[in-house]
Amino acid sequence: MATTFGGAPVAINIKGLYAAYQRQPVLEDINLQFPAGKWTAIVGPNGAGKSTLFHVLTGSMKALRGSVQAFNEPIATHRKAGHIAYMAQREAIEWDFPVSVWETVMGGRYGHMRSDPLWRRLLPSRWYHSRHGEAVREALLAVDMLALAERPIGALSGGQKKRVLLARTLAQQANILLLDEPLAGVDPPSERLILGVLAREREAGRTVIMVTHDMPGARRHVDHVVLINRFIRGVGSPDEMLSDAKLAELAVSSIEQSANDVRVAESPSFMAAQG
Amino acid sequence: MAELMTALSLFGDALVSGLIAALMLIVNLLPDGISDAFQYAFMQRALLTSVLVGAICGILSCYVVLKRWSLLGDAISHAVLPGVAIAYLLGWPFFVGAFITGALTSVGIGAIERHTRIKSDAAMGLMFTSAFALGIVIISKIASSTHLMHILFGNVLGVKQSALLLTLVASVIALFVVWLAYRPLLLYAFDPLQAQALGFNTSVIHYGLILLLTLTIVASLETVGIILVVAMLITPGATAHLLTDRFKTMMLISVGVGVSSAVIGLWLSVVLDVASGGTIVLVATSWFFMALLFSPKQGVLARFWRHRQVG
Repeated sequence: MATTFGGAPVAINIKGLYAAYQRQPVLEDINLQFPAGKWTAIVGPNGAGKSTLFHVLTGSMKALRGSVQAFNEPIATHRKAGHIAYMAQREAIEWDFPVSVWETVMGGRYGHMRSDPLWRRLLPSRWYHSRHGEAVREALLAVDMLALAERPIGALSGGQKKRVLLARTLAQQANILLLDEPLAGVDPPSERLILGVLAREREAGRTVIMVTHDMPGARRHVDHVVLINRFIRGVGSPDEMLSDAKLAELAVSSIEQSANDVRVAESPSFMAAQG
Repeated sequence: MAELMTALSLFGDALVSGLIAALMLIVNLLPDGISDAFQYAFMQRALLTSVLVGAICGILSCYVVLKRWSLLGDAISHAVLPGVAIAYLLGWPFFVGAFITGALTSVGIGAIERHTRIKSDAAMGLMFTSAFALGIVIISKIASSTHLMHILFGNVLGVKQSALLLTLVASVIALFVVWLAYRPLLLYAFDPLQAQALGFNTSVIHYGLILLLTLTIVASLETVGIILVVAMLITPGATAHLLTDRFKTMMLISVGVGVSSAVIGLWLSVVLDVASGGTIVLVATSWFFMALLFSPKQGVLARFWRHRQVG
């Protein structure tokens, strides 16, 4: 596949990626490039492998085959350097956990803290964390949550929880942002705020990659769209990819695929492979 | 080498005497009726052991409760039994054997969970009961039933100097590791996906935490025994979780609950002449129910009161 966006440098380069859960293929033959400094939306039906793709990028899942590079280096190098920020879906987190909003966002700094000298890290957090406090403050300010910094995270509303998770990714000051459904289940003001924050991150030269079901939001803001449903189903501008015809095609692909899965599952060779 | 060992054990003895002296300063402030029981050397050793065990169990129990590892804690504590028996057979220090079988079992549980369709609760139940059964079989062949009873239910009043030293070393190691790895452990307990994305090695953290848990269990064997140690790994953390929304405060409360239960339980068991392990656990349980009733936010009474005010 040619480099997208007229020779813009590539932030993440995925080659020949296969991934499976319990031998059930989730992603197959993924060859994909995310342009640096652009805002990309990943669109696909439920169970299309969008979150799995992020799990592979963040290292919590091993791919069966294929390679993933960030800026022409293995992506693990960039993870260790704290260059890749990840925002999970809200459901992935234990909201009863006894931490405040401030401490949660400070968690985004933990990667960078590894490069501070050990003796400093062993000081009480009250003193040590102030060195990283500015980044946390800015992030909370950006999502308009600074006033609630001392709240326990369990006491927040749905939209506020999303904003805290976003603040944690911002506090990391990474150059690649991976966001899994940052707009799901938020009220309209929160949605406007989150889209505004991400637009500013892109203006600052960061690479923003988000999974979304929010077509109007994506049409208005993103530079680049990837359609995915186990295979890559299309890559291009929002106008091309988010047209009604293209989206209908994507929906059909998922129906065909589940029909296919049933046929495969019923075939004797597949049963043998499972056993 | 031999000189080094002598020097180390001398240092250990001196440290233990120092700590006991410090504890006795506090004990002697109490009314005579209470402090009288602690004038014997065996009671002073039991007191120090209880304080140490209460403290490290309190710390670890925060992770156990927040990570939903209660059943895993139970599994590891049972799995320690064959290790104790095998170490006894081979003439090794018993904590080495306990450590090995505890760690092996937790690895085995992880392997079954990952590579078969068996879910984690069944994997744990299967692995720990079989390890426990193996331990019972070996012990029934080599030792008396009183010996087995001491391992299963603890005997803090009979704690020897060597066992006390082991508990001390284990506590210092556990405290030190939690202090060094405070942030990775916190992040891993809260949000493992995020820890992974930030480039932390989550398998190292995962197995490190399991090893810490095993260490704590081994250190607590003499005090509360294999069967009841899991109570000390759940109750203090659960009590603290009801009382606060801050992780550090939770740790402090949890340590407070652990230490106070161990000490009060020890004293009550002597005064009432009942089993010490069970008494310690029951005191911890009463702390929990008090928190359940009176916690300002989570408590039953507070909820009832708010309900009344709204209605």
